[in-house]
Amino acid sequence: MPHLMKQSNGQRTLSLADMLRSYGTVMAGVLIIIGFSLLNPDTFATWSNAINISRQISFLVIISIGATLVMSVGEFDLSIGAMASLAGVIAAKLASEQVPIILSIVVPLLLCLVIGYVNGWIITRFRVLSFITTLAMGTILGGFTFWYTGGATIFENIPDSFRYLGQTSWLGIPLLSIVMIAIILLFWFMMSHTALGRRMYAIGGNEMASRVAGINVGFNKNAAFALCAALAALTGILMASRLGSAHPTGGNGLFLPAYAAVFLGITVGKAGVPNIWGTFVGAAIIGILANGLTIMEVPTFMQDVITGMIVIAAVIMQKLGRDSR
Amino acid sequence: MPLLSVKQLDKMFGQHYALKDVSIEIEAGEVHALVGENGAGKSTFIKIITGVYQPTAGQIFWNGQEVQIDSPAAARQLGINVIHQERHLIPSFSGTENLFLGLPYPRQKWWPGIRWKEMERRAEQVKAELGIDIPLHLPVAEMSPPERTLLEILRAMLLDCKLLFLDEPTASLTDQEAELLFSLINRLQSQGTAIIYVSHRLDEVFRLSDRITVLRNGKKAGMLTRAEANRERLIRLMTDEEKVAVPQQRQTREVSQEPIVLDVKDLATLDGKVKKASLQVRRREIVGIFGLAGAGRTELLEAIYGLRPLKRGVITVMERQTSSPTPAQSLKNGVVLIPEDRRGHGLVMNMSIRENMTLPILSAYTSSGAIRGKKERADVREQMTSLNVKATDSEQRVSELSGGNQQKVVFAKALMSSPCLFLCDEPTQAVDIMTRNEIHRLLREQADAGNGVLFVSSDLPEVLEVADRVVVMHDGESIAELPVAGLGAEDVLQLCYRQRKEGAASHEAK
Repeated sequence: MPHLMKQSNGQRTLSLADMLRSYGTVMAGVLIIIGFSLLNPDTFATWSNAINISRQISFLVIISIGATLVMSVGEFDLSIGAMASLAGVIAAKLASEQVPIILSIVVPLLLCLVIGYVNGWIITRFRVLSFITTLAMGTILGGFTFWYTGGATIFENIPDSFRYLGQTSWLGIPLLSIVMIAIILLFWFMMSHTALGRRMYAIGGNEMASRVAGINVGFNKNAAFALCAALAALTGILMASRLGSAHPTGGNGLFLPAYAAVFLGITVGKAGVPNIWGTFVGAAIIGILANGLTIMEVPTFMQDVITGMIVIAAVIMQKLGRDSR
Repeated sequence: MPLLSVKQLDKMFGQHYALKDVSIEIEAGEVHALVGENGAGKSTFIKIITGVYQPTAGQIFWNGQEVQIDSPAAARQLGINVIHQERHLIPSFSGTENLFLGLPYPRQKWWPGIRWKEMERRAEQVKAELGIDIPLHLPVAEMSPPERTLLEILRAMLLDCKLLFLDEPTASLTDQEAELLFSLINRLQSQGTAIIYVSHRLDEVFRLSDRITVLRNGKKAGMLTRAEANRERLIRLMTDEEKVAVPQQRQTREVSQEPIVLDVKDLATLDGKVKKASLQVRRREIVGIFGLAGAGRTELLEAIYGLRPLKRGVITVMERQTSSPTPAQSLKNGVVLIPEDRRGHGLVMNMSIRENMTLPILSAYTSSGAIRGKKERADVREQMTSLNVKATDSEQRVSELSGGNQQKVVFAKALMSSPCLFLCDEPTQAVDIMTRNEIHRLLREQADAGNGVLFVSSDLPEVLEVADRVVVMHDGESIAELPVAGLGAEDVLQLCYRQRKEGAASHEAK
């Protein structure tokens, strides 16, 4: 989201339509927060619930940032859900076998990094669709995870130290939220202020022009897939740490909301491209909705319906805003 | 009564007038040229008459009746069609299927199947009427550019077309192919179809049109009949400058003592588009590559730059030899490519001017991992000023710029890496005269500064005007290398066409 507010031309004032186009999604998020606060002043609008939300959304935010990277190079990775599940069970299994905690985190991270790189390599080397390749890779990983666990949840003999990341707070702030913020800042910096990020955006904008500009398209795409996979793995590991257990399909449910968050994020700002802050806003809206609706005892299936409708509304709004230009 | 009469048309985008108070009358059966620099409002005018944009103010009369053209479909209903620079065809469909796009397909009587025979019959009929011979059974992907243009014209004529816009129709055609198009235009005209001909190529405009309307900055600058029009007058109307830059006759430089920047020996590409090409470019020298369409000119540049895998051959840039160049390596050696297709290959349209310009040299702006924004911005601004890029600032998206300014950004991007060799592919295609002159001046400046320039152009006068030496290509081979001094257009064309005949003869002999 390179220059959101730096429209330095004098004559063009920020009209209402412009405002809506750039900040409509953010405003919708604020409205949702105000709405829930008015409806549930005692339960929703409290400091402890805010902390709660920040912890709840951390998984979605981290995995969505990975999806943002892949989408910024113009591709999709549909294996992130399976990747998160796999990393979660491997981490939990290693921990339960009393492998040092640092290793039980690093091993699945590196493994998924490599798998992600392979995803990218297949796609760039053989010029096949990422959609199909990663769908198939997700299926493979799902099968592998099932074989590895025998289909059962891993929860026995997991040491307390494995739960540290997921269950501890520093100065009242959950470690999960701190990790999330660190990841946001790190990848925002990468996408906006480093050559790698600029090159990824260039590839997503025009692959051929990027080639002419001497950019190694293959390597940069592979890097996006590898980083995306690593972030999915981190999400799975953090989930396992939070729960103190890992289910073979534990991360699968994050896959669709992650892309919903990225698409919501694209509607944030003028640029109309996947961007880190936008994705954060998107994931936060989805998370806040889930939290608020749960407080109001709306059943989960209804929450899904509402979340889906909001994503559709957001993309339509942006499209309308663009066409009226 | 005119066929189309437009009165006091205004079109505003935000605060800015794209068209202001434009009135034009088009008679049935006339060829009416519309000329003007890029950004003069030609495209906006086309889009309003074809129903893509709605005018902010003004009236449109069709056969004397006031009409609202509120969609492209409404325009087609009236008999208004447009043939764009970019083709609007589906590559995987056959010619016949493309003809019927958007039309009701003829149906079988008893079930909803398509009567293919009937479609073919109607297609053949229009083909015969217009005397256009193109292989309609082929998928469009296998047709040549002129065949595609003719197909689009056929498609327009299948409907009852009374007014046809041709937007730079000869941009991708060779002279021979253009001739075909011109004779078709004459035939359409004699059938009573009015044609609005939009082109930068003034020779064509003089040759074809009955009347010429000149647009400048969104306003009508004047209307001339063919008898009144001449080049000087037209250019003056378009540019509004008393002093029109007349292309100066240039002296060819003496470069035989200069070191060789680029040496290409026996180059052949894996895809067979380039079969055997050799050439040299010295410092301070501008070398033009000319050839008929399909001769492999673009492909040769791409191969030198590293976009096309080589089968054979050696490329030496400043004494560094390679037989498998890559774009990154070329850039490092000081070679830049200015591609023909600036939207597709030259620019990332949704990025800013700054981001586009520094894309090839990002590493130079990176220190300890981060891009140094201040330095980047300052350098980009400096380059924009020196090339006179017209934009609100360096953060404007390139998609918002006019064609000529986009091309300047492409050049600015190339200059940012201080190259020693420029590979330019059709650098002045579809840009206005002012930009064209600026680009020529720039190429000369670069040569004067000690760099080499290798450029491809389909515009032979341009090659003869700008280059010191011309390399003639034919069918993937470089067949001649001629100094430009004293060389006439005829000499070069004869080489191209003679070679073509010989090629045909040798085929027959086999």
